[in-house]
Amino acid sequence: MLAGGRSSRMGTPKAALEWHGSTLLYRTAAIVTRATGGPVVVVRASGQELPELPKDVTVVDDPREGKGPVQGIAAGLAALAGRADAAFVTSTDLPFLHPAFVVAVLRALEDGPDVALPVARGYQQPLAAAYRTSLAGLAAGLVSDERLRPAFLFQECSVTRLDDAALLADPVLKERDPDLDSVLNVNTPGEYQAARQRQAPEVTVQLFGALAKAGRPGGPRQVRAATAQGAADAAGLRFDRHVTAALNGDQITRDPATPLAQGDTVFFMSADAGG
Amino acid sequence: MPAGGYFGQAFVVDVTDGAAATLPLPDRVLRAYLGGAGLGTWLLHRLGPPGADPLSPSAVLAFVFSPLVGTPLTTSAKFAVVAKSPLTGLLTDALASSQFAIAGKLTGHDAIVITGRAEKQSVLLIDGDGARLIDAAELTGMAASDADRKLRDQLGRGWRVAAIGPAGERGVRYATISHDGRHAGRGGLGAVMGAKNLKAIAVRAATKVNSADPAQVLAAARDLRERSFGPATAKYRELGTLANLLAFNAISALPTRNFQSATFDGAGRLGATQSSQAAQGSRPGQASQAARGGHATEAATPATPATPADLAEMRRVARSSCASCTIGCEHIYRVGGGKKARVEYENVFALGPMCGVAEPGAVLAASARCDDLGLDTISAGGTIAWAMECAERGLIDAPWLRFGDPGALLRALDEIGTMSTPLGELLAQGSRAASRTVGGASAAFAPHVKGLEMPGYEPRTLHAMALGLAVNARGADHNRSGAYEADLSGDLDRTDGGAAHVTAAIETEDRAAVMDSMILCKFLRGVFTDPFAEWAALLSAVTGWDMTGAELRRTARRIVIAKRVYNLREGWQPADDWLPDRLLAEPLTLASGRQARLTPARLRAMIDGYYKERGLDPAGRPVAENNHDLYFA
Repeated sequence: MLAGGRSSRMGTPKAALEWHGSTLLYRTAAIVTRATGGPVVVVRASGQELPELPKDVTVVDDPREGKGPVQGIAAGLAALAGRADAAFVTSTDLPFLHPAFVVAVLRALEDGPDVALPVARGYQQPLAAAYRTSLAGLAAGLVSDERLRPAFLFQECSVTRLDDAALLADPVLKERDPDLDSVLNVNTPGEYQAARQRQAPEVTVQLFGALAKAGRPGGPRQVRAATAQGAADAAGLRFDRHVTAALNGDQITRDPATPLAQGDTVFFMSADAGG
Repeated sequence: MPAGGYFGQAFVVDVTDGAAATLPLPDRVLRAYLGGAGLGTWLLHRLGPPGADPLSPSAVLAFVFSPLVGTPLTTSAKFAVVAKSPLTGLLTDALASSQFAIAGKLTGHDAIVITGRAEKQSVLLIDGDGARLIDAAELTGMAASDADRKLRDQLGRGWRVAAIGPAGERGVRYATISHDGRHAGRGGLGAVMGAKNLKAIAVRAATKVNSADPAQVLAAARDLRERSFGPATAKYRELGTLANLLAFNAISALPTRNFQSATFDGAGRLGATQSSQAAQGSRPGQASQAARGGHATEAATPATPATPADLAEMRRVARSSCASCTIGCEHIYRVGGGKKARVEYENVFALGPMCGVAEPGAVLAASARCDDLGLDTISAGGTIAWAMECAERGLIDAPWLRFGDPGALLRALDEIGTMSTPLGELLAQGSRAASRTVGGASAAFAPHVKGLEMPGYEPRTLHAMALGLAVNARGADHNRSGAYEADLSGDLDRTDGGAAHVTAAIETEDRAAVMDSMILCKFLRGVFTDPFAEWAALLSAVTGWDMTGAELRRTARRIVIAKRVYNLREGWQPADDWLPDRLLAEPLTLASGRQARLTPARLRAMIDGYYKERGLDPAGRPVAENNHDLYFA
């Protein structure tokens, strides 16, 4: 995740902007963690203050500031060396980034290219794309040569471009993010306000066991919530140490800040699982 | 002897001739092993001949009480039955709760140990006058609950009974011992008792037991009682353990059709929900008179199982609890014909999804049949599920034995419990022994660890539990290793087993070792915020010892290692700490679309980590120089 931009058009650091209960940085990092299982690395400008991050997310300083996104990509890919063969690279300002988008883009690397580059909603999306971590040296060399635009990197390696149709060939992505809002970023106060005015994702909530009570039906039912805490609130449930949440029948969490995305299912269960 | 909580002696009875003797229990041994499963392990070391056949006269069967029995502490009326298992050939310790614990301890002993074999089927009586045998001819063939009732009518007020059913009499290797409708269920203890020609043991209190600080104990009891009504026990109180079923199905942790799947399309018919709850909010003691009678199942198998749309329609008519318990996890369901049955997650899992049976009436009828015959529901369901797969693959000539067929399930239970057919005799040995007879590929999908059939926790989606199941002394067991707690906590990735899972599995195993020895019900565990320290305080008030949480942690380790030392003596091999091949070869697909897989390499790494953290050698053997505090000498 590249967090070191200047946010000049926004006029305030974008990483710290709030969106339905999370900062943009926390939400994006947590969405990428959900989609990939980690490791997740945030690249920041040296000394840059960052808001809270999900646990296990690491931060590295960009050794060469002001060199643009290719430098950030180089620093991030280098930090992942030995820990991952490929990485989804993203900026911090994608409030609608969906885990299914991340999965679909990363999957495109399975065919062998060095980069899977979405061309979504009419634009190339180098900061919502997948890269092989082995490109770190190449990217750093380009920066040294002052070839700072991502297009220079794409000239030097194999790139698979994913247009809307290619992306939406993924049935999960097509169902959850049919307009490819995943790549909608917020650069100006106006765009940010527009993003804030959009409702939180629609998710399905189901309460199991003794959590369902008279006046608090077990469901399943649809609610609007961007975090696990939001879903619990919508269900009238106290999300304390006696309660856990399973996302889409998969990972289990007690973290109230766990991000939710459109189409998610949240199972709330008793944390006291004996029997 | 400690100032309270103990009598400092075990009562050792040879039922061959009725001879009895007391065995002094040194203070250091009591403090080192506490009671229950811990003290039982020590007794088995001390009194059980190495290498003895578990069904031979020389085998030892120990009923072991605890320092908390007889106190007003909630859930303390528990005891452990400990023996060498005829199912695993290793140590088994089954815990249960009932008035038998109180009456048994108040015979004046911390344990009752039985050896030998009676000349004919008998009942062993123990009270203040010592031990004596009476003829059990009139009880032969009876369900344990019927034998219990008849015997208490015959003996009169004050007697409490532990009895076996027909399966125990016939030597089914997963037969149970029952008392007040509760069961010492796992590992075939009923067969051990049956092999001693004992249909029942009856005990009657003859004395009292003191606490070192009665006022402190009373205050602690009041506090614990209040905490037992809180959110940590809500699941048990409001729905019972069956609440697990729908949740486990949702997260692909519900073993189905002999572990061929982790979700069951009929789960919705078998789950517990609040929607049709009839007795919501009731506290224990508000149960019906029939339920209060303490019989796990008051039903005979209905001639025609009820066929309601789902189990919720048979929702409880009452709630009940074990002796001295304020949680009240027992939920009573209508079986049909005016009969009622106690329902728990494990029996519904094993006789429902595991066998592919979705009809609620059939599952309850099968559970009732297990109770009448005296069969462990988990091993019965697991072994039948394995046989169903064998039949479908043509490895067993039983074309009627099909997944999902309620009639086949009930017929198989009858054939096992009565050992009336060759198939019944085969399946009465358990899935491990049966797979050795059947051969072919059947061993790869026999659902056991060390011979003990697996409980309702899917290892491929619960990696900490996978480790716990693999290394536990008793075999595939969810009570001595509660590692699923870590998997379901959200604190770690349940499908990415590693070092954190090892640490979590050890922690839960340690907690279980202490709770099963002091003894408190593990359904209370969520009410403790600093468990070892709080348990030490309880034990100190009862015994007068100045115990600390740190000492109890050492006690936990000692008990875990002592079990491993015993198993090693009885033939445990490193390969026994492993899981069935199926679970390591066939991935599962989660609802999210992601595949969950447990590879042999991952399991191996977790086991190696466990051995290292436990201070075992690389092959899992206890290191002699680390075991100076086991007090076996």
